[in-house]
Amino acid sequence: MSALAYFLEDEGLPTVVLSLIRAHSEAIGNPRSLWVPFELGRPLGPPNNAVFQKDVMRVALELLEVPTGPVLLADYPHDDPTAADRDDWRPPFDFAETIPDPSNSVQFAAALEDEMRTLAPFHRAFVAANQRTMVGLSGMDIEGCRQFFVSYLADPAATNPIPSVPIAEAFRRVVDDLKAYYLEAMMSANPVIPSRPQLENLFWDRTALARACLAVRIRMFADNEKVTHFMGDRGLLPGPQRHRLGLYGTL
Amino acid sequence: MVRMTELIPSLQDALDKGNSPTFEGKPFVGGPPLSERRVAVVTSAGLSRRGEPLFRLGDSSYRAIPADTPASELLMSHVSPNFDRTGFMRDPNVIFPVERLYEMAGEGTIGSVAATHYSFMGAGMPQPMEPYAREVAERMKSDHVDAVVLTPV
Repeated sequence: MSALAYFLEDEGLPTVVLSLIRAHSEAIGNPRSLWVPFELGRPLGPPNNAVFQKDVMRVALELLEVPTGPVLLADYPHDDPTAADRDDWRPPFDFAETIPDPSNSVQFAAALEDEMRTLAPFHRAFVAANQRTMVGLSGMDIEGCRQFFVSYLADPAATNPIPSVPIAEAFRRVVDDLKAYYLEAMMSANPVIPSRPQLENLFWDRTALARACLAVRIRMFADNEKVTHFMGDRGLLPGPQRHRLGLYGTL
Repeated sequence: MVRMTELIPSLQDALDKGNSPTFEGKPFVGGPPLSERRVAVVTSAGLSRRGEPLFRLGDSSYRAIPADTPASELLMSHVSPNFDRTGFMRDPNVIFPVERLYEMAGEGTIGSVAATHYSFMGAGMPQPMEPYAREVAERMKSDHVDAVVLTPV
């Protein structure tokens, strides 16, 4: 992002970066940055809060009118009011109490199918309420995603459903679609909005899908093929979860 | 306040090792009052429209996103799993604040909204990105843009 700011400004375009990592902006010295104390992935802060988001934009854009510089680095003074956990939030459905070992492919496939059947009406509700979904990277419907996920889990030589990319990349697209399906379903049918960690921790702790991702990444990491190795190393498990689960420096 | 660098060791490691890029010179461009500026968004979130090529590992290119693109047409194919997607699932403005820009234009805070906005995929090296960034700059200048908000993830 900082490189883009430099190149655009060098071409004569005034820029301002919404900086999520203050130390990074300090080190690089963007022409103008507004550091915002929000989650990675939310440079404007809380979703569905137009007043708050517009204030972030106003403060950032007003840096363009400051005549002195470079380097301008200002701090946005307000935290995301939705960043804290909500004790009154519950997911709209119950997860299974036990999850079969993913190495038992028959039992695991049945458990994943049950899990996704439970989620289905809640995902439909999310799409109806929001008129959009982030599912769509793989180009397959969610049933196709589930089937390929189970096939690849059981056999790394499974048929690649997206022959234009390596199979590990196809698998990552399928995982992204499945994760979006789960998280969107978990956010539906409840007026209380959970924090990002509440959602993600629940996903990684309680779902059969996540249990299988944790298992398959070990196999992918050990693969000599570079895309497969990358996906096992850094492509499946988010850094904050790797940190929370004590998996830094290990698998 | 939350400081993500305290929470993700890999990011802290990168900063500690001095992996931040450095550049020649310090460009700093002025312009008219904000109320007269035409504003574009450039994000590094790896956004594209459904049906377009997705971002792939090491992809330094960009996607042009017309301002009137419905939110339902946006996909995110950034290779990093490390940042939150749930905010964007609920509201694309947390990364791609075009609706906010239209409101600000309507209120007179800014002059107008660019016809086209742009997405790259962050986390790559700066050098391969440079020709694409300069191409985007030319396209924005053709659209009379004179203010760019960059939104990382």
